[in-house]
Amino acid sequence: MKMISFCKFLILLTLFLANAGFAQSNKILIVNSDNAVYRYEKIASEFKKVLQQNGYQWAEFNLDTHADAEAELKQLIQQENPVLIYCIGTKAYSLARNYAPNKKLVFSAAINWRRLNISEKTYGVANELSSAQEISLLRYFFPAVKTIGLFYSDKFSREYIEAIKKDALALGINIINRPINDAQEINDALNELLPKIDMFWIIPDPVVLSSKEAVQQIFQSAKQQKKPVYAYSDVFIEQGAVLAISADIATLGRQSANLALMMDKDKVSAGTVQSPAGSTVTLNKCAIDALQLNFNQDALDSVNKIVGCDKHD
Amino acid sequence: MKRIFSIFFIFFVFITGGYWSAYSNVRPIIYFYNTETNINNFATLKMAFDIYLVNHGGYYFQPFDLRENFEAAIQKKGDIYLLSSWHLKALQQKKVPLEIALIGTSKGNTTQRKVLSAKKDIIDVAMLKNTVVAGAGSEEYIQSVLKQILGKEHEALLKDIKILIVPKDIDAVMAVGFGMATAAISAESGLDKLAMMNPNQFRELHSLGFSEKDYLLIAATLKKPDQQEAQLLEVLRKMSETEEGEANLKLLGIDGWRTLK
Repeated sequence: MKMISFCKFLILLTLFLANAGFAQSNKILIVNSDNAVYRYEKIASEFKKVLQQNGYQWAEFNLDTHADAEAELKQLIQQENPVLIYCIGTKAYSLARNYAPNKKLVFSAAINWRRLNISEKTYGVANELSSAQEISLLRYFFPAVKTIGLFYSDKFSREYIEAIKKDALALGINIINRPINDAQEINDALNELLPKIDMFWIIPDPVVLSSKEAVQQIFQSAKQQKKPVYAYSDVFIEQGAVLAISADIATLGRQSANLALMMDKDKVSAGTVQSPAGSTVTLNKCAIDALQLNFNQDALDSVNKIVGCDKHD
Repeated sequence: MKRIFSIFFIFFVFITGGYWSAYSNVRPIIYFYNTETNINNFATLKMAFDIYLVNHGGYYFQPFDLRENFEAAIQKKGDIYLLSSWHLKALQQKKVPLEIALIGTSKGNTTQRKVLSAKKDIIDVAMLKNTVVAGAGSEEYIQSVLKQILGKEHEALLKDIKILIVPKDIDAVMAVGFGMATAAISAESGLDKLAMMNPNQFRELHSLGFSEKDYLLIAATLKKPDQQEAQLLEVLRKMSETEEGEANLKLLGIDGWRTLK
């Protein structure tokens, strides 16, 4: 009798577990902070292409197209019960983190992801290339550059600077860094730093880049002292940066999708956040020629955009 | 009434004359699409090549980012088509009558191999099951190269490998070094570039297999080149003789052209 009861119990348990398994959706929910932003839209479309190729289903929720986005998102998460949520942009991540704290989340396009409220179920692809990637590419274009100078604020960029120094040292490049607490210090700091360096590097530091004047000051002094400027974004090309390297947008979407697929197979360590795998390179030929700067011509096949002096190139 | 007819006649001659004049000035075009990169540099390519070609015979350059659009453009005798050797073979199998006219060269070589590289703890290809392999180019192309490198013995692995398409070879090889992919498909020259950019990372990698040798970029024509095509091919062939022309070729990853013997 006991044996029969035990068998019944086993059958019921199996049915329960099987049902629980079937209840688990394999759908991925894509939450986009603002699909009207080209960058976010491109990332989402590349992400979906990879899902489609791999036979995955998805639901999509664009925060910009819903009047009561927060409530509707909460309802959608309950309704769809997604296996994971892909969050494009910081706003999408913050909401998903609030409404689905137990779900696996993958983020991308979140500026400075280290400031996000992350858990062990948070995965992602960073928005910025790692300093080692940037220095490697910089070295490829300008192999003669041995000493690079940069400004940073201790409050915002100390850890980043430590990483840069470590990565640069491993590649035989000397970094001269100068802390800036106030943009007023920039002029004197430039006079002191520029004569000692081969190139100036603009990093995304909110104190150093606090005003248009501060940025102008950097480019003006660098020009006067004939020092090239490298920047993390191509917005500085027009002002005279010789090279800008940033993450490739389309690759961010594809990489996030691959990460999500590998997570679904439990092949990714908890809390993995990857650096972007694709880069976009803009070369300012006009500024390079003006400085009579040598660069590796063989690297031209890796350039996305070459800017000439007539502004139309 | 006569006056109205005269005005109409002049207007008609002006319009049709302009049309025929424009039509007679249609110059051959160089069409470009490369399955082996995924880099969005079309505006730069178009600008650089147009400036050069307009000054060397009034020709134009048209790059494509979509394979279907490029293939749809292969119609008119007189134009030149720049494409990868792999793509040319695929088109020839579909009975598109393209023939090699010039082969791109790089540092004296006309051929290259693709290499599958990984960190040294990945000792053989069997360890690539359920991993990500990075590569630059079209997905179909990377799959095809990977299939060739894996060979019959490991072909079944393909369905368990995720391909991460990146813009260029250096992104693929760096993706391995920085842990975004387990292995990379790149040209051998991609590894040479890594050795220059980041020698430490280069030393951490080893090769798991190679593809067969294939030509670098190809300039093809529909059947045998006629006089018009021959003139344009000569302009292309001589590009490396000027600084401006050579810089343009480097945007395509080559430094010259050689005639197929």
